[in-house]
Formats: sequence, structure tokens, C-alpha cells
Amino acid sequence: MADKSVDCKGLSCPMPIVRTKKAIEEIEPGQVLEVVATDPGSVSDIKSWAERTGHQFVGTIKEEGVFKHYIRKSDPSELKPEKRYPHVVSNEELLQRLTDNPVIVDVREPAEYAFGHIPGAISVPFGKLEETIGELKKFADQEIHVVCRTGTRSDIACQILSEKGFPNVKNVVPGMSEWTGPVEKRS
Amino acid sequence: MARRVAIIASNGGLETAYKVLNIATAAAATEAEVAIFFTFEALAIIHKDAANMLTMGAGKEHYMEGFKRANVPSIPELVEIAKESGVKLIACQMTMDVTGMKKEDFIDGVEVGGAVTFLDFAYDADVTVTF
Repeated sequence: MADKSVDCKGLSCPMPIVRTKKAIEEIEPGQVLEVVATDPGSVSDIKSWAERTGHQFVGTIKEEGVFKHYIRKSDPSELKPEKRYPHVVSNEELLQRLTDNPVIVDVREPAEYAFGHIPGAISVPFGKLEETIGELKKFADQEIHVVCRTGTRSDIACQILSEKGFPNVKNVVPGMSEWTGPVEKRS
Repeated sequence: MARRVAIIASNGGLETAYKVLNIATAAAATEAEVAIFFTFEALAIIHKDAANMLTMGAGKEHYMEGFKRANVPSIPELVEIAKESGVKLIACQMTMDVTGMKKEDFIDGVEVGGAVTFLDFAYDADVTVTF
């Protein structure tokens, strides 16, 4: 569920933060880092650190005294998309359509998807979109709702899909960051 | 511009060394510019012989066992991490004159400066801490 994992088991403050900082420099923007720690202080430290440095804190899983923190390295380009995909639906509109079992493609990273997604949404991480496109062909004649966290990755995903012959693609804005509808989680 | 953290360390002992270096390395990992001004007893923290000069004060020996259990890095290791993360280490010129310490007594990468050298950094600091 992560692109890189850093082992901080048995280490106390400030080492988990120091190691996290080092490890995030070694991954690409958009990739997810897993930090495995036993220090209970790391729970709030890692979250604050991510918010302070502008990376996305995805979530923490606690398993038998071990904390697994997930952080997605942010991409500076996320802040200023150059070209906007024109066909959008709002979170509210999608929420109203949920009863009709719409096709929803979630292009966030697997870790983000695991920590909460719209029930029935198909996970297609943005980086794997082009190689997965064949599997989506069966939905080509239906309306496809593409969702990410803020509407930026899904914007680009919509552009790619419409270029590859999907005529009826909609970007969900703003996306999961403000989703108030039902959510399914990794158990 | 990055946030700035200005730290004054003026006490010796292992506890002060840990307090100073934990804050400094955490701040540096959070992409802050960090400078530490070492004065009086705190010069021991950046001394080449820190391992022998820094001790846990009388009555506080019980901490040592905890340090071992919690796998806390040694002071020289933490100083090395601080240096690698770009923390500026400034030794107080006046204390050096008073105690007869020389720049060569300190680990590599330490700058020597007076109060103004530190203040010049601290005037634009967002956070100032004293130990």
C-alpha cells in the first residue's frame, strides 16, 4: 500500500521525524511513504510534521503496539493545474446519484483509498491509469465519475480518459477532502 | 522563506544536551533554519570530548537506564544529524576566552562568534528557545 517504508521501530523522538524527512526526499511526488514506529509520540508528531511541511498525512494504523503512518509526498504542480477539464459534478450531485450505482473511479493512491472511499468506487491509482485503461473499457458507454482528494489528479485523469475514447467522463469536485457521504474503509 | 528557530544553550549536562538537540533536529526536519548558540557550560555539547564531559547530574542517574531502553542516540550522533540537516552551531567566543578553549577543541563545522552573530540570526527568528 506504500511505495517506500521506513523502519523506526524502537526509536524515540526525534529519530522517527528525522528518518521520515530523509525518506520523503527519496520518493517521487505523489508516492506514499510508510513509517513504522513504536514511539506513541510519533502519532501526533508525524501528523504535525506532514502538515507543517505541506505533505499529505493519509492516516495511521495501529497494530499490536506498532504504528504505521502513511504520508503522501505532495507535488508542487497540484497547486496550480494548467488546463481544466470542463465536465464536472459536485460532491452533492454525486451523492444524490449514489442510489443508481454510478461508475466511480478513485484515482488516489491505494493507501488513501484504504483509509476511506465511496462504497463501490473502483481503485485505479493515478500513476497506473494508462495501464489499467483496458479494464475500464467496459464502462465506456456509461457515465464515469472520477474522484481524488481535491479534484486535481482526477482533473488530469479525466483529460486522459476523454483522449482515450471515453466520451462521458465527469470530474468530481472538490472530491474526497470534503466528501460527506457514506465511506467504506479497510477493516 | 523557511521558518527560523534560534536556540541558546547555556547549561551543561546530558539532559540539556538532549533537550537542545531534540528540538534542533526536529525543527530542521520540519524544514526550519536552525542556529544554536552554545555558551558557558553548554560548550561541552560540541566539544570533541563530549562523551566524557557530559554527565547526568547527581541524583538523575536513573535516567540512563531509560535512555538505553528507549534506544536514544548518543549526543555525538545527534550532533552529527544536526550538522547534516544544516543546523548552524555557534560557539560563544567570550566563553572560549574565559575558559581557554580553542576552536580546535570543538567538532568540525562549529562556527565561533559573539553575541551579535547569534542575534543577527535571531532577529529574524520565528521561535527562540533557551536552555
